Amino acid sequence: MTKITIPFVDMTSQFRNLEDELTKAFIDTGRSGVYIMGEQLESFEIKAAQYCGVKHAIGVGHGSDALFLILKALDIGPGDEVITATNSFIASAWVVAATGATPVLVDVAEDFNIEPTLIEAAITAQTRAIIPVHLTGRPARMDEINLLAQRNGLHVVEDAAQAIGARYHGRQVGSLGLAAGFSLHPLKNLGVYGDGGLITTNDDKLASKLRILRNHGLRNRDECEVWGFNSRLDTMQAAFAEIKLGYLDIWNERCREIAAKYRTSLADVVQVPFDQEWEECVYHNFVIRTEKRDELMTYLLEHGVDTRIHYPIPIHLQEAAKDLGYKAGSFPKAEKYAKTMISLPIYPDLSDDQVTYITHVVNSFFDELGKK
Amino acid sequence: MATTKNFLPEQYRQSNKLGINHNYLNEQFSDHEVIWTKMREVVIRGDFTLGSEVDILEKEYAQISGTSHAIGVGSGTDAIFLSLKALGVGEGDEVITTAFTFYATIGAIVTAGAKPVFCDIREDYNIDPSEIEAKITPATKVILPVHWSGKPCDMDAIVEVAQKYNLAIVGDACHAIGASYKSRTAGSLGTLACFSFHPLKNLNVWGDGGIITTNSDELADKLRLMRNHGLVGRDECHTFAYNSRLDTIQAVVARHLLGKINHITESRVAHADYFDKELRSVSQIIIPKRDADIYQVYHIYSICCQRRNELQNYLIENGVDAKVHYPIPMHLQPAANYLGHEKGDFPIAETIADSTISLPVHEFISREQQDHVIKLIKDFYD
Repeated sequence: MTKITIPFVDMTSQFRNLEDELTKAFIDTGRSGVYIMGEQLESFEIKAAQYCGVKHAIGVGHGSDALFLILKALDIGPGDEVITATNSFIASAWVVAATGATPVLVDVAEDFNIEPTLIEAAITAQTRAIIPVHLTGRPARMDEINLLAQRNGLHVVEDAAQAIGARYHGRQVGSLGLAAGFSLHPLKNLGVYGDGGLITTNDDKLASKLRILRNHGLRNRDECEVWGFNSRLDTMQAAFAEIKLGYLDIWNERCREIAAKYRTSLADVVQVPFDQEWEECVYHNFVIRTEKRDELMTYLLEHGVDTRIHYPIPIHLQEAAKDLGYKAGSFPKAEKYAKTMISLPIYPDLSDDQVTYITHVVNSFFDELGKK
Repeated sequence: MATTKNFLPEQYRQSNKLGINHNYLNEQFSDHEVIWTKMREVVIRGDFTLGSEVDILEKEYAQISGTSHAIGVGSGTDAIFLSLKALGVGEGDEVITTAFTFYATIGAIVTAGAKPVFCDIREDYNIDPSEIEAKITPATKVILPVHWSGKPCDMDAIVEVAQKYNLAIVGDACHAIGASYKSRTAGSLGTLACFSFHPLKNLNVWGDGGIITTNSDELADKLRLMRNHGLVGRDECHTFAYNSRLDTIQAVVARHLLGKINHITESRVAHADYFDKELRSVSQIIIPKRDADIYQVYHIYSICCQRRNELQNYLIENGVDAKVHYPIPMHLQPAANYLGHEKGDFPIAETIADSTISLPVHEFISREQQDHVIKLIKDFYD
């Protein structure tokens, strides 16, 4: 087995493939003299709304702000509680804290997403919303979550930061709750070249409020309706995003293909993620689990394969969460997964040969282990 | 079908009808090839989030500001918000500021959880320091002077009252890149200073961006943590924080323009001086006070005039992009209803809001264009 170096991410190939289109978008936007809001942003928003099957898409500064602004638009603040998953990127929790509300964490299921059957016990009189995270690009179990929310009068805000294009019972994420926040960070399946985010919703009133809130609370140039924020998707980034949106389904399909190859070749030696019949995961990450995690990661790296852990410390065990009252043992599944997970490289430009090489390396690790 | 009508504030728009515009981005974009080449390198390196161009810009910006630190953030608004948060401002606190500013100053204070407490301004559009002391209560945490239009406030007086009551000063220097007060840069005039790189600022990027300057190591460390999810390294979160970063590709634009900032500033000052000189004789116009020990950089060139709305319409009809920054002071905004102010509370701010007009003075304006504007104004009053 000749050593091949495989980076965890590769954004260069995608750029080179689209360079002419992207350069043109840069020049067109540049010459328009409109770098904030404007027609180019509107054009992307219309296409993104169509793509997600919703009435409104609103470009914002980044994925965290997408969630933060939704919570603010729902008047969530001090004294309120918002429920989310403990195995997520830290932003899923800080957006709640940033409104002044308290994040309430819940353990996850084998699919790394919030375990709906554990949510009810976390609901109190102060609970206002549930933020299910579609981690790794896999939709959370939305039917159960929506039912719970309905029974308890709670808002459902999807954290779809990693999941654009994923489907649940045939419906796009972003259309599965009251509103959803997407990230367009460069590393995402639909990524721009800086920070960017998107909100989707079918609620007209919420959408109008969000459009005002993201732009200084302005009613028009001279009148401020409510003291707002400044969180806008840069027009130039919207131009890049619009081009890439045209390729997203092809890219997501390729990631699903890679995932299938990994699954077939690795299922005997590690725990692999798989799709339920009602879902289409877009594999922002392909996360395997093994008791030999640290050894396997080292072995992969020695053989040129860069991997990551998403995430090695669950939110409830972070220093930032020390005042929330959780401790080691609070969420056994998330804690167990944090010690056993590895994210393998997965991106559209990863070749079949590279995928095969990675699966060989993983299998040979376990072969060698068996011989010891 | 989606109804995605965006509200586009007028100042971002470039009108084809107008010959003399506030928006100069088209002219500036003529330099785009050198910038695209550098942006491309960032993209190919994959160096997007807090990349090396941001680090270098921060060092360069700290150097020109004469401060130990500069911290790139997502916008000028965020610069103010994060500065207040770094100082621990939150629910129940009060921040003293001016009634005459852009909405973002107040939005940042309110987002931080605090109550904005307004002071009136002087005829130079800046906060009247003699009003501050009377507004101080046990809840006051910060004085937030706005260096409006690029003219630094009367800082000696503000620093004196801040020291007397042990209050921090957060300077809203969003208009004031390159400005100085008694030879001290706008970035070094308070505990922290906040700058905007909005596309139409003197030093701009091609999207939203901002930067904070400070001499405090402690605050700088805190801000660096707070702008990036509270993360230390990739995996450890020390505090629930925020996300507000200057995009690396935008740092490329900022660095490119930083090399031209002296030219940009000097052109604006020269254009402003020329308007001052030529319009001083018009009896219907009042030129705001200029101070010998203050270097103002004219992000906005504003003067007060009679029959303002008529003059503005006349100029626009004749191809001049005359603007009003801004016709309604903060205390009279619908958003401020809950604070219980009424007309008459801040008479100078209100008078200036009714009579101020802004003329383009950016570096691409020519002497002929200025002469044309001057002639139109004189014709209007004749």
